[in-house]
Amino acid sequence: MSPTPVRWLRERARPVRRLLAAGIAAGAAQAVLVCAGAWLVAYVLAQAIFAGRGLAELWPALATLPPVAAARFALSLWQRRATFEAGARVGAGLRQTLETRLRALGPLWAARQSSGDLVTRLVDGVEALTPYYAGYLPQVAFTALVPVVILLAVLPAVPWAALVLLLTAPLIPVFMILVGRSAQQASERRWTRLRRLGARFMDALSGLTTLRLYRAATREQAALAAAGEAYRRDTMAVLRVAFLSALVLEFFATVSIAVLAVLIGFRLLAGRLDFQHGLFVLLLAPEFYLPLRALGAQRHQRMDAVAAAEGLMELLADDHATPTEPAGVRPFANRRIALAFERVGYGYSAGRAVLHDIDLAVEAGTRLTLVGTSGSGKSTLFTLLMGFAAPDLGRITVNGEDLALLDPAAWRRHIAWVAQRPHVFRGSLRDNLLVAAPEAGEEALQRAVQAAALTTVIARLPQGLDTPLGERGQGLSGGEAQRLALARAWLRDAPLLLLDEPTQHLDRATAAAIDHALERLAAGRTVLRIAHRLDNLADEERVAVMAGGRIVESGRVATLRAARGAFARLLDADRAA
Amino acid sequence: MNARPPMDIPNAAGAPAILRRLLGLLRRERGWLAGGAALALLSMLAGIGLLAVSGHFITAMALAGVGGSAINYYTPAALIRLFAILRTGGRYVERLVTHEATLRALAEFRVWLFGRLVPLAPARLGALRSAELFSRLRADVDALEHAYLAVLVPLAVAAAATLAVLAVALAYLPWLALGLLLLLAAGGLLLPWWTLRRGEAPGAEAVAAAESLRTLAADGLRGRAELALYGAEGAHAARVATLTARLQQARRRTDGLQALGGAGIALAAQLAVIAALLLGVPALRRGALTGPDLAMLALLAQAGFEAIAPLPAAWAQLGATLAAARRVFALADTAPAIAEPAAPSPAVADHGLDVRALRLRYDEHGPWVLDGLDLALPPGRRLALLGRSGAGKSSLVGALLRLYPYQQGEIRLGGQPYAAWQGDDVRARIAVVEQQPYLFDASLRDNLRLARPDASDAQLDAAIAQAQLGDYVASLPEGLDTWVGENGTRVSGGEARRIAIARALLADAPILILDEPTEGLDAGTAAALYQALATAMQGRSVLLITHRLGGLSTLVDEVAVMAGGRIVERVAAEVYRARRDVESGAEVSA
Repeated sequence: MSPTPVRWLRERARPVRRLLAAGIAAGAAQAVLVCAGAWLVAYVLAQAIFAGRGLAELWPALATLPPVAAARFALSLWQRRATFEAGARVGAGLRQTLETRLRALGPLWAARQSSGDLVTRLVDGVEALTPYYAGYLPQVAFTALVPVVILLAVLPAVPWAALVLLLTAPLIPVFMILVGRSAQQASERRWTRLRRLGARFMDALSGLTTLRLYRAATREQAALAAAGEAYRRDTMAVLRVAFLSALVLEFFATVSIAVLAVLIGFRLLAGRLDFQHGLFVLLLAPEFYLPLRALGAQRHQRMDAVAAAEGLMELLADDHATPTEPAGVRPFANRRIALAFERVGYGYSAGRAVLHDIDLAVEAGTRLTLVGTSGSGKSTLFTLLMGFAAPDLGRITVNGEDLALLDPAAWRRHIAWVAQRPHVFRGSLRDNLLVAAPEAGEEALQRAVQAAALTTVIARLPQGLDTPLGERGQGLSGGEAQRLALARAWLRDAPLLLLDEPTQHLDRATAAAIDHALERLAAGRTVLRIAHRLDNLADEERVAVMAGGRIVESGRVATLRAARGAFARLLDADRAA
Repeated sequence: MNARPPMDIPNAAGAPAILRRLLGLLRRERGWLAGGAALALLSMLAGIGLLAVSGHFITAMALAGVGGSAINYYTPAALIRLFAILRTGGRYVERLVTHEATLRALAEFRVWLFGRLVPLAPARLGALRSAELFSRLRADVDALEHAYLAVLVPLAVAAAATLAVLAVALAYLPWLALGLLLLLAAGGLLLPWWTLRRGEAPGAEAVAAAESLRTLAADGLRGRAELALYGAEGAHAARVATLTARLQQARRRTDGLQALGGAGIALAAQLAVIAALLLGVPALRRGALTGPDLAMLALLAQAGFEAIAPLPAAWAQLGATLAAARRVFALADTAPAIAEPAAPSPAVADHGLDVRALRLRYDEHGPWVLDGLDLALPPGRRLALLGRSGAGKSSLVGALLRLYPYQQGEIRLGGQPYAAWQGDDVRARIAVVEQQPYLFDASLRDNLRLARPDASDAQLDAAIAQAQLGDYVASLPEGLDTWVGENGTRVSGGEARRIAIARALLADAPILILDEPTEGLDAGTAAALYQALATAMQGRSVLLITHRLGGLSTLVDEVAVMAGGRIVERVAAEVYRARRDVESGAEVSA
């Protein structure tokens, strides 16, 4: 049973409770100063009006007022600083927790996520929490504390006025629930629908060209108008009710002032009350309900935080996805690597196997090429080899040792990988190369760049290796990104090379340069490669043909071509396309 | 299509002009807008009045009690009740009316903006292609829609309520009016102005840091495999921590300034009370002011600041609103790339396309993307257009669809020049299977009906069967009602392409353009698509655009090779195939 988002949010506040408590104490101290200020103002007015005193006699009280005001000013700034710090610390801590979590969830999980949504959760979601701790949560405390302080101040001065306030006081929690529940639900519905309406508008704008192609723009414009109109009618029906709770709150806040003013007035007329006390109460009455009204204004902070918390809780929940990392610890170091898959079966989700009974052996220093249609399970073999997931059945051995028992970090140091769509990190080309080998020197970098035929790309970039890449900077085409991966593999200098061959069409000179570089890179290493174009495979190449998660054929290219089996069929389809 | 239209047209129009234009757009709702603001002012004044009159009332009552004199307490007591009712009821009605006004304005504004952007797509709307500019447009629209509630109402109410408070003070104690004016100006104008100025740098820093953090987070997801393989996950987490600290440092400063704005107004309110006492007590002694009036002025001085409390937020929002309005108006004011002719489109007998000496470039000093292109597509002819990427194929499609303007030469449809045609009438005669079809966040049915809104289920089924989509639709849990697009079921590249074919079939146009129909699909999927394409082509003129013809050559009568923005060769498909078989590999590679 997972906690509710609100409880989860409160639990996050535990490590920063001292800061929050300090902020709340500062808020309570401000309430005390409010009372002191009101008392001084009431005193000065009473003395001036009823005792005929002038500034000469009243200056001590008047001179006290500015320091009281200044102290309130300083306290409110300090309070905000303390609670902001609390929110900031929760956010920073959470972001580290999330990083650890992402690490545990692993690359397979990350690849399946819609990155836009997740980035919003990780960045904007965590940011949305700060105002909750900095603003909303302290305000909840003020809503409970400030009325108590005011009540305690009013009680000795005008006991019956305190009674009037006290009678409405129990209503405060009732209103907090009232405002909290119904209005919140209503406004949440409203915001959801407003977001949906906004999303539809933006969707229409992104698809504007398509709308024009089908001459549907005028229709869509009418549909947008109708949607806006329908939304307005629905929303106003909801709002008429939702604003009622605010109306009740406003009613009590206003009427308590009016009632107190009238009651005080008549008691003063009857001479049953001292003016200074009466005015003191009137000055404090608006402050009694102020925190509750302010809470309503900060409700959106809670809504945003709860929405963000839901997204983050889901991410952090233990049952969300079981970490797929093999947990071996045995150290591993060897420059020659022989691989074997022994009856390996694997499925990304339970009951849906993508690999069945895979038996494969690659001797140290040799090359095996995998072919097959997309979805046949070729890249899943790479995933298992890199230790991003562990086989459900069977085992993978490295030089005879079970991969599951090896320390993943130590094992991965032996792998270089050229992905089909390598990730280009934000940063310079140099940063992107150094990811693979942080300690590589300039010379090694240059060698890798040359080997991967990246020299022409670098020549094109205004600041060479140090040009920022990415959306605002210079981009890399798919083919160039693959050459970047090739350069990374070169820098990596690892005994096992996993190679997903380019499908992008490269011009011949570049293709030849890369082929040459790959030949040199492969020399002496164990290579497992996925080939997409079959017509240029050499006759003596060792090939395993995959289909539907199984190895359906394997052997030398020349043999398989003559066998007129699965490989030959693939070859035909490839030529026809 | 890589035209880069100007996004930020410099706009010297000042703030009042922009706000006037914004309000001008919403003139149909001006009753609601003005009514909402008036009600907001009314409830604000009622709240201030309630406190001031209460102060006056209890002092007068106390004086009467001490002096034993008679007093008319009916009027002030009634006034207190009236203010209480106006305040309570006024707030409720005000909220309803301002929200009604906002929602009406929102609908009006969106429809207006949509209408302005339609003729600009895609040639002038680079903003919709870049994720960054698009999200900025989204934020701009959002800011403009909340301009009324968050900016206009608070500013109007603060100005009017301040004037009312100052007028009352002026009537009783002119020097107090001056003091209040200074304090209100300090709290409502000067301090917000100063905090905004000071907040600019950390605000920009926070935006930049959050953006970097987003990029980094995306790197951490998309590049997780690389990070894990290279043992760089720890370094990545450290970078996230560093950037988070940078972001929070910037936020700490903006948050502090924001707190300063709020605390400053509270301080000014208390100083106003002190001023009222300092000026009022001597006036009382002089007999220039009565006791009740002094109490009233003291309470008025304090309550008056309630009206300017929302100002720091409103000023901050005003800056954002003006910047948003400038950008949105600049975009909406962009002249369409193609001016539609005033006369209706000509009536034509056939649908032959004839392109002559066409030259097209995206900006005045740029290179010619199409450079003297001649191409005839008689009715019923099926032509493959083959060329490397960058040869100008997509630009030709843009010109043929009357979405991008050309500078020289001519395109004729049915013998009539494009200049005489309404763009929509051209597009009614050409169906296109886009390379990356846009799927709307709606049901599959709605996405298909886009091409023909009145299509019956039988017609939809027929199109689906012809586009080889039958098995796919049958596999969907909710069939045609399955939600696709942004938040719906993920649709693979091959499926999206076939949905686009079904759309094109429904559109039932005499000319069909296929833009890279098999690009990015594996051999098996591509083969399945040929059948669908062959069906779609029946009885239509076809222009098939690709950089790699392969098996597609069986679908066409002729092959034209494009390079450098013109047609360099045109041969019969059999000739092309025969030649390819001889010198295998002579195919154009891009």
